[in-house]
Amino acid sequence: MFGLDYSWLADPAYQNWLVTGVINTLELAALSSSVAILIGMLGALGLSLRVFWLDALIEFFVEVFRNTPPLLQMLFAYFTLSTLGLKTTDPVTGLEVPLLSAFACACISLSLFGGALAIEAFRSGLETMPKAITEAGRSLGYSRWARFWRIEVPIASRVCLPSLTNILTNLFKTTSQASVITVPELMYYAGQIYNDTFRTLEVMILILIIYVVLVSILSYGMSRLEAYLTLPGYGKGQ
Amino acid sequence: MNMTFELSYEGKKRLVIGGVLAAIAAWIAVDAMAGGAEHWGRVFVRLPLLLTGQGDGWPITGGFALNILLSIASMAVATVLGTLLGISTLAQSPYLRLPAFFIMNFLRNSPWLVLLFAMLFILPFQVEVFGLRIPFPPFVKAVIGLALPTAANLSEVVRGAVQSIHSGQWEAARALGYTTPQIYRHVILPQALRRMIPGWMNLYALLTIATALATVTGIQDVLTILNTSLAMESERVLVYFYLTTLFLFFAYCYPIAIFARRLERAVKGDNI
Repeated sequence: MFGLDYSWLADPAYQNWLVTGVINTLELAALSSSVAILIGMLGALGLSLRVFWLDALIEFFVEVFRNTPPLLQMLFAYFTLSTLGLKTTDPVTGLEVPLLSAFACACISLSLFGGALAIEAFRSGLETMPKAITEAGRSLGYSRWARFWRIEVPIASRVCLPSLTNILTNLFKTTSQASVITVPELMYYAGQIYNDTFRTLEVMILILIIYVVLVSILSYGMSRLEAYLTLPGYGKGQ
Repeated sequence: MNMTFELSYEGKKRLVIGGVLAAIAAWIAVDAMAGGAEHWGRVFVRLPLLLTGQGDGWPITGGFALNILLSIASMAVATVLGTLLGISTLAQSPYLRLPAFFIMNFLRNSPWLVLLFAMLFILPFQVEVFGLRIPFPPFVKAVIGLALPTAANLSEVVRGAVQSIHSGQWEAARALGYTTPQIYRHVILPQALRRMIPGWMNLYALLTIATALATVTGIQDVLTILNTSLAMESERVLVYFYLTTLFLFFAYCYPIAIFARRLERAVKGDNI
């Protein structure tokens, strides 16, 4: 079809690479997304406490990670963290090796990048909370923590689900950049395959389609979750 | 509190951020005295190269200046494509609307790096239109590869802005006998433009950040130059070079983000 040659797909070795790549991509995305959501929640909680120094530190963190390329953050983590002292001595060879693997570096920098985006999303979710609701909670004797966990989080998380979907899909797409620091995910294996077969166009089209399908599944799942969690009067239920 | 003057909450916050910046400056100073000055010297020597692609700083052939040029060119292409795509998703005819939706979602769901790579191979080396040969050098491929996802994101912004215009505007224009293109051209877009600007600027900052990916096309952008010059430097200097490059992107994108947020607040309340 269209003069494209996909005969290499029949080779089990390449099939294996593709499957491994997809699994590693999913693993990287799942790990960094969970940490990013955790960072986002903690950060938004920190901001909601209205402690000026904590507020300032979180804002500094968010702005730095939002306004620099994630690719550069990953390269920085990969190439310089070991130079800055994060290394151990290999007991077998006696050579100095970096403490963090490429996968760990990618995971850390993606988590921080996604976390910075998530803080913003959760913050705007908490900000849209009507004051009457938190006041009602307070008058019922809820403590600050109970108010946050039992009242604000359930409502705010529904309000900010659409922007969280954006962030998670964004993060998933950004995992492809981890191939630059040799994390063996889908994009990395794409390079391996076309270096082997010289079918650059065919490989890239296939990889693009796989990514689009994976991201579409993710965003469809999130929209289902949104529909499932709808509260009357908030977010989509409005 | 028995202080003679009281700082506002924002004032205190600014003070802490100032403190953080001062601490970073102090750390750099201490490090410079402990031998870092030599490394910073290396960075300083290579700074013109990182900024303009030339050791002397002139003529501009690459470096961070090329990233900015790339971002401007991509944004120009993306603005045109994104507006057309956004309006198409609002079209009455399903023959226009459904393909536009498909294209928008496909581009929005594809990773920037993968799309850029794919464009590198999908776009021909040159195209011939009516006997006119148009070459596609890597720079043009990078412009298109970055413009496509930006256009898809922009089409969402355009869509939102157009939909936010009161339907009375449409009805009034129709009653006056305007055709649909005329309504867009003279009534809807001029009003939607105001609401599009913050989103457009946010997207521009995002695009500038993404220009770092263009290094895969082989153009002499700041990352390509960073990598080639690092090959000639010691391992320790790496940290200083990376920090400098990170700072370049931050210094360019942060003011844009701040400005966009201010505009967003200004636009938020207005109802036309």
